[in-house]
Amino acid sequence: MANLDPYTTILTAKTAAHLLRRATFGPTQAEITGFTGLTAAQAVQQLISNADYSPPPPIDLDQYSSTAGQTFLDKPFNHARNFDLGHYMRCWWLGLMTSQAAPPSLLDKLTLFWQNHFVATREGVGDYRFMHQYLLLLRNNALGNFRTLVTQMTKDPAMLRYLNGNENEVGKPNENYARELQELFIVGTIDFAGNKNYTEDDVKAAARALTGWQYTNYEVDGSTSFTTLFVDAKHDTTNKVFSAHYTNTVITGRAPSPSGTPSAGELELADLITMLLAHPHSPRFICRKLYRWYVNPNVTQAIEDNVIIPLAQFLTSPANNWAIQPVIVKLLTSQVFFDVTNIGAIVKSPVELAVGSMRFFNQAVPVLPTDYAAFKTYFDFVFYRMQDMQMPILDQSSVQGYEAYYQTGYSKTWINTTTIGFRYDYTDAYVYRFLQVRPNYLMGIDVLAWATSLQANFSDVSGTLAISCVELLDGFTKNLFVYDLFPAQRDFLIDTIMMEGLPRTSWTFQWNAYRRNPTDPGSRYEVLYRLQNLMKFLLRMAEYHLC
Amino acid sequence: MKRRDFLTAASASLLPVMLDGFGLKAMSRQSVLVQSLLNTTALASDRVLVIVYLNGGNDGLNTVIPLDQYSLYTGLRSNIAIPQSSVLGLDGNPATGLHPAMTGMRNLYNNGKLSIVHSVSYPNPDQSHYRATDIWMTAVDSSQTSVSGWAGRYLENQFPGYPAGYPNVQMEDPLAIQIGYLTSTALLGGQQSMGIALNDPDSFYQLVGSGGTTPPGDLPCCDAGDLIAYIRKQQALSVGYAGEIKRAADAGRNMATYPAVTAKNYLADQLKIVARLIHGGLKTKIYFVSLNGFDTHSGQVDQTDVRLGSHADLLGKLSTAIETFQQDLTLQGIEDKVVGMTFSEFGRRANSNNSKGTDHGVAAPMFVFGSNVKHRTIGQNPDLANLTGQAGSKEITMQIDFRRVYTDILNDWFGAQHTTTNALLFREFPTVSLFSDTVETVASGNWQDRNVWTVGRVPFANEYVKVNAGHTLTIDRSVSVKNIRLEGKLMYTGPYSIQMTG
Repeated sequence: MANLDPYTTILTAKTAAHLLRRATFGPTQAEITGFTGLTAAQAVQQLISNADYSPPPPIDLDQYSSTAGQTFLDKPFNHARNFDLGHYMRCWWLGLMTSQAAPPSLLDKLTLFWQNHFVATREGVGDYRFMHQYLLLLRNNALGNFRTLVTQMTKDPAMLRYLNGNENEVGKPNENYARELQELFIVGTIDFAGNKNYTEDDVKAAARALTGWQYTNYEVDGSTSFTTLFVDAKHDTTNKVFSAHYTNTVITGRAPSPSGTPSAGELELADLITMLLAHPHSPRFICRKLYRWYVNPNVTQAIEDNVIIPLAQFLTSPANNWAIQPVIVKLLTSQVFFDVTNIGAIVKSPVELAVGSMRFFNQAVPVLPTDYAAFKTYFDFVFYRMQDMQMPILDQSSVQGYEAYYQTGYSKTWINTTTIGFRYDYTDAYVYRFLQVRPNYLMGIDVLAWATSLQANFSDVSGTLAISCVELLDGFTKNLFVYDLFPAQRDFLIDTIMMEGLPRTSWTFQWNAYRRNPTDPGSRYEVLYRLQNLMKFLLRMAEYHLC
Repeated sequence: MKRRDFLTAASASLLPVMLDGFGLKAMSRQSVLVQSLLNTTALASDRVLVIVYLNGGNDGLNTVIPLDQYSLYTGLRSNIAIPQSSVLGLDGNPATGLHPAMTGMRNLYNNGKLSIVHSVSYPNPDQSHYRATDIWMTAVDSSQTSVSGWAGRYLENQFPGYPAGYPNVQMEDPLAIQIGYLTSTALLGGQQSMGIALNDPDSFYQLVGSGGTTPPGDLPCCDAGDLIAYIRKQQALSVGYAGEIKRAADAGRNMATYPAVTAKNYLADQLKIVARLIHGGLKTKIYFVSLNGFDTHSGQVDQTDVRLGSHADLLGKLSTAIETFQQDLTLQGIEDKVVGMTFSEFGRRANSNNSKGTDHGVAAPMFVFGSNVKHRTIGQNPDLANLTGQAGSKEITMQIDFRRVYTDILNDWFGAQHTTTNALLFREFPTVSLFSDTVETVASGNWQDRNVWTVGRVPFANEYVKVNAGHTLTIDRSVSVKNIRLEGKLMYTGPYSIQMTG
């Protein structure tokens, strides 16, 4: 069966598109063309080296604000605008995901993976500066070292706030973070066979090791900085004893340390992370989640044995030592990633549908800071539609993340009788085009212009044949779906949806009438109506909702 | 064949013939015959269950407060304990009170429409949100897993083959509806959810439309083919049910006054939709609603007034929502058709933490509400002098296994065969007499031992009692009951008697 061995076949448009759909939020046609002919290794290397680690900062998008169009993270904290500025920070991230101007990168899709792994939410945390620092921590370390990432995350002010780490004190522990650190962040509650990975007493012991961490200036109006502190007096200095799941490890309680040396909190945290990472199921837990994110939510015993376990061994091998980037490269260039059974094996998440459609149909992102009002219109639309479809970015309903990444059914969870309606409503907006992003920028697909671009010598009606229904369908569906439509589906789309039972020759007649007189409303409407019907149906097809 | 089964079969097999080839659906609502037949079958089978999920693990000890052990209670949680004078008293039950925010549920209790089921949990409890939620929703032992939910298995048993061939003449409405956007594990059948998600009945029809042309059914291989088939089926179901939901939503009417939108009582908003759909005649069996925010690790009480705060807000919303819903059903005249139950994945620890919050715990009370509940109290207050766990983590131990409540709902509310219920719940669980006037014995033992009784406590003087065959009860003091039916034996240790009050 397919495994982690390198996939060496030169990428075709289909396999290039597969890689881009999974590693990014969805490709443009130009990106697919650009990746066709590369090896998987070359393509993934580009996706990594294209990452921009110093994007321009978020901008105040409110045109009625005195600081409209300006940066806000460099200004004193403004509590009255906490929601708005937090939302603009989120729109800023969506902008990075959606941009078609920058070359394609895998960084933000992987950042979203980690954000859904180490969940903290704008609603739960509040302070937009905390959320911004947390997001940068995820983004800057997404391809870095997992040990560093989880260690920093434990001390991150947003995470301390979200899981009550700052309220975890000697004598009165708050176990919230210690539990999720094991259950969700590193070890997993149970192994693949269903055995428990740790005990309740391990949760309590970990909580005691984590006592004493605090943050400053949370939502303090006018404050210009904030930081994490370790407070010796709030730290539990006794030894922390763990169960046989952790080979009966004892983390020695540290007394207050002299200044200038690592604090007791740092030392015990390092011990704790080392112990948790040494759990035999920790690397499998992480690799399984990555596999479900990038390859297929369905993990069989054979996949566990042939892919997850070897990948976990690679992750923890001395040479790799928990580095993330080589694991991502290995997975995205593997035979199993490109295996035909894994093509289209995931239902598009709302962000893959929403941002992916914006990218695929070249809906240009308004440029910050100048075009901030249009930027806001664009991303308010994207965000609130994604919220309807059950994926509000940076606002998961619980620390477990979006249900589709852990619940039985996995990515199927995105689809039900109600969300399917919101999905139609979203894709219909590309066809009926009601969103005015700014004057002269109507969001959506200009189907007439697209059809016109497919027509050679548009104005030469007598000398150049009209494009056929088949050519038109081929044009509209190029790289649109993960696999080729069946002949019966193609006939149905042309004869039933586009032509509504009329013979295909009627299309030639109507299209040529439009070519002769593109400004005549009657001729224009006739073809526009057919093309809109077709495009609307294509985007409502189940096939469009696979990734 | 039971009467209602016969009628269902009859309406299915005879009507198309009698109506000269027109399907029941084509004639429905206009035809007196169809209407009367539907009503007849409905009478026996139109019972509805509303499941209320309190997401996050509700702090049971600040919800149902043991007034009989008040000083132990405050000793465990001095920073969040509700002042004794603020606790809402319950008629005829001085030992127990409710959180001051719960006036609505106190009223229901006093009117005999609310059962408090004390200290509900299961053996070897789990304290992970995800796993514990799964255990409650799939109704398994904590050492087992199941891909299907308990309510989903019941519906699958009643409506085999779903969703293939649905909606159909026998069941033109969704089997289960979750108000919201996702369907919960509790409603999962063996393959997929037996329910549908519905956020707003008014916009649902508009959103999914009235359906269009059916495309060819070609499928690619492998997981992609499975996913496409699944999405197509959801498309078809949403369209198939949209018309019926719209009809019910248009026909149904709320008669009670629900909290204003500004109150942000999302549970009341959801129950308002449920009442409207039931009143509108939707034949959906199970509704699932939820209220988030019970994971109160921190700041569950207000900084200055412990009677207020985030937990009080949640309990206030819960109580108002349920009382208003019950009033609505009463005014609509359909109170007898509906029963509701609350559950949460676990209770919280008996002792509070330093952040004026509580960490994950074990047992907590469930509430069952409706005009059909027969006992206001099942089980008794947790014994705070004998909690499990060391200092720093005092846990409330289980009295009632949650699957006993499910058992009564399946057997006595939905009328499932006992053998079916036992199979759906993977084994037999004793009744807690939720829907029965009579308190029965479950074992031999001392009359005063709560464990010998179905209701998990000694029978009250106003309750019927049945001593089951094979059970011998020792009586070491005089007792009062309403009436007693004796199929087993009584053994008196002295000159004691049983006083009949009825």
